[in-house]
Amino acid sequence: MVAVQYYLLLSAAIFCIGLFGILTRRNALFFLMSVELMLNAANINLVAFSFQYGNLTGQVFSLFITALAAAEVAVGIGIVLVLYRNFGDVDVTKATTLRW
Amino acid sequence: MAETATSTVAFAFEVAPAIAILPLASFVIALFAGKYLPKRGALAGITATGGSLLLSLWVMLTVAGGAYYNEEIYTLVSTPDSFDLHFGLLLDPLSALMLVIVSLVAFLVHLFSLGYMNDEGEPGLPRYYAGLGLFTFSMLSFVLSDNLFMSFVFFELVGLCSWLLIGHWYREDAPPSAAKKAFLVTRFGDYFFLVGVVAIFATFGTATFAGAESFPTLAEEALAGSGGAGGELPTFGLSAQGWFTVLGLLVLGGVLGKSAQFPLHTWLPDAMEGPTPVSALIHAATMVAAGVYLVARMYGFYALSPTALAIVAFVGGFTALFAASMAVVKRDVKQVLAYSTISQYGYMMLGLGAGGYVAAVFHLMTHAFFKALLFLGAGAVIIAMHHRQDMWEMGGLKNKLPVTYYTFLAGSLALAGIVPFAGFWSKDEVLYEALVHGLNDPLLLAAYLMGLTAVFFTGFYTFRMVLLTFHGEPRTHTARNPHSLGWSVKTPLVVLGILATVIGLANMTPIAEATGLEIEFLHTWLEHGLEGVNSEHYGEVLETVAGYSAAELSPLLAAVFSLSLALAGAGLAYRLYSGDRPEHHTDRLGAAKRLLTDNYYQDEYQVWIAQTLGTGVARASDRFDQGVVDGVVNGVSSVSLFSGDRVRRVQTGIVSNYATLLTLGLVALLVGVGLAGGWFL
Amino acid sequence: MTTRPRLKLGSHLVPGLVALALFVVLAAVFLTASFENAQGFGGAPITASIGYAMFDLAGGEVPSDGFLIAFEIIDLVLIAALAAAVMLARRESDGKLVGVESIRTDGGRSADSAADYAGSADDADADADTDTGVSSKEGAISADEKVGEAN
Repeated sequence: MVAVQYYLLLSAAIFCIGLFGILTRRNALFFLMSVELMLNAANINLVAFSFQYGNLTGQVFSLFITALAAAEVAVGIGIVLVLYRNFGDVDVTKATTLRW
Repeated sequence: MAETATSTVAFAFEVAPAIAILPLASFVIALFAGKYLPKRGALAGITATGGSLLLSLWVMLTVAGGAYYNEEIYTLVSTPDSFDLHFGLLLDPLSALMLVIVSLVAFLVHLFSLGYMNDEGEPGLPRYYAGLGLFTFSMLSFVLSDNLFMSFVFFELVGLCSWLLIGHWYREDAPPSAAKKAFLVTRFGDYFFLVGVVAIFATFGTATFAGAESFPTLAEEALAGSGGAGGELPTFGLSAQGWFTVLGLLVLGGVLGKSAQFPLHTWLPDAMEGPTPVSALIHAATMVAAGVYLVARMYGFYALSPTALAIVAFVGGFTALFAASMAVVKRDVKQVLAYSTISQYGYMMLGLGAGGYVAAVFHLMTHAFFKALLFLGAGAVIIAMHHRQDMWEMGGLKNKLPVTYYTFLAGSLALAGIVPFAGFWSKDEVLYEALVHGLNDPLLLAAYLMGLTAVFFTGFYTFRMVLLTFHGEPRTHTARNPHSLGWSVKTPLVVLGILATVIGLANMTPIAEATGLEIEFLHTWLEHGLEGVNSEHYGEVLETVAGYSAAELSPLLAAVFSLSLALAGAGLAYRLYSGDRPEHHTDRLGAAKRLLTDNYYQDEYQVWIAQTLGTGVARASDRFDQGVVDGVVNGVSSVSLFSGDRVRRVQTGIVSNYATLLTLGLVALLVGVGLAGGWFL
Repeated sequence: MTTRPRLKLGSHLVPGLVALALFVVLAAVFLTASFENAQGFGGAPITASIGYAMFDLAGGEVPSDGFLIAFEIIDLVLIAALAAAVMLARRESDGKLVGVESIRTDGGRSADSAADYAGSADDADADADTDTGVSSKEGAISADEKVGEAN
């Protein structure tokens, strides 16, 4: 039986890898992938605590998060599309019209 | 039976607010519907003021039955443990008398306006009648008010209405300027009044005129040292009496402005630019009366301060003489009346200051009637003369305008103080009071002497005016063929003419003294009333607190003396101006004439003060405003502009930067919360 | 042209340090925290229980909240996403993409495409050509997306 700390550490590591991707990458598609990583880190947390407390709510919730991730990707892809149409590129640093 | 009487009394007081509200309704009607009405709002005004007159008479009868009323009717602001601002009614003999005077004059002026304004086809009639209605409303409310705050509110409204009405012919040059002058000069006085009102609130915590909790009563208790609520009043470092004097003088500032006393009298002659009925309403009988009425209303307070009284008396006496001297040389009939108005209000102030409360109110009443009569008579002459006002263009109107002539003559005799017309009795009583109190007080005596000298001038200028206007040969074509006058002009003249002749009989003090008859009706009338606001009480206060004492003197002697002076003035005028072709005798005065026609250069020096002092202060405050106030404001704005310009650089528009900042924030938050919560231990 | 992936180092990695810092903080918190022993599920049928919990039915052996309403809401969300994806990907009969024109914003256009936009009918045709060019890629992506959702 693995102590819950290690699940948390794993989850934090995956989350920070996703975050790292978002902070350093410029391609919008990589953003979507990184967000997927972060969502799954959250899933790990939920499942781990579900086990910790012997309650299924966390497990069911992680399923919902998976579904939500699908919807999120749909929207994200739409945004990427528009980004491409408007800037001719999927580089997020090019889209700087919403500034001062 | 007794119950019915009580309920009738209560009902009379219940409907008393309608006295003021009726003219307000006519104001609204004339303003919004005046265009569509047959007489452009005149009929509404006549109906409303007529209703006010009837109600006022009813209230007067009720008050005569010994019932008084002193109630709050509407509280504006109420603070616990401190003062409250409210509107209320105070109906006692003084206010009931004044209500009748104001509503009667307003009614007659509305009637006269039919002839003066409607028949002459003047433009802007709805505006005119709206102004008259609002003015009457304000003045009646002022008279009704039971506290100084309400008085102040309506005092200001009266000033506003005078501005509206004087500037009625706003397309010409002079009226708007005169209206502004009237507004600004009276407003200058009202500054002091406002400060006075606030100071009275700060001192007494109340501003009601009558009752056990009223400020004159509290002040009296404080001076008597009888403890009670008035035991420890804040007097700001002065003795109680000294502080009360200051308060009285502050309020007096407003009085000097409204009642056109020296040195704030300069607006009144200019205000003659307004339509003549307006002059009659505002500048003879009511608005200018507001100042004197205010002093009479809070006389219990002034009576506590001999210094304030002496100043009132001296200013009054001086103004009486000063204005009368200027009236001597004027060519314009309305100007003569304007200066005589100032002069007569000087008498009233003299009477009040000399301790002659009843005498001053008496003169206020008689003057209201005979001066309204004179103004309306002058208005009639002006109609007849096709709006020419120069007396040297008139002459010989006696035969063409008999009704006007005889009523005007009655008014003039009253003004000059010739027995037995109204002005004689009242003016004589004022002078008598000044004399008997003045024999023990040199300042009062000086005021009396000035007032006495003014009697001579009054007689002179009054008859100069009558002779130049009505007697002799007509001097111009217009005067030979005057315009005819309608009934609406003649009726008010006749009513006022009768009043000016007989109203003095209400208080024939010299006769009463000589014969021992009980015929001093006004004395009796004012002697009773609410506790602390009747002349009996004032007499006691004057004697005990202010230390006034009356010398023993027969009123007959003083009466004969002033009458002979008035007759001398009238006789001189008759000698100089009675011929068919009177000469310009005033030219012989030389430089003095110039001085008098230029009003002692009062306007010039006031303008000079305004220009040097006013612009100096204005420039300094402008510099303060531009430098300090604007500097701070601009500084704040430039700091935020600058910092905003720098801080906005955070908004790069690049999503990654936002994400970085978000994450940084999260880390900082976690570390902070963790440290605070001891997570890392 | 190399095919081998390379690690691209540079200043663009600096923001990543923040992510690292977050990890350090989280790890510090987790490792210093103390937890009780896990309760576990004690061999109960987990998947079956999830099914019961999902539809708010009695019969699950492991305690859980009911999720019927959340389930329905997620259903709506997915349908909305599906509809949006279809709308973005669908073509009109003339081959133009629907909705994309209206999504387009002024700020995003480069100067030459703005000139196109303001130009004559010919220019508009040219514009339409590029549109179709782009939309083929979009269509591919949308198709993938749909497959993902179906899964």
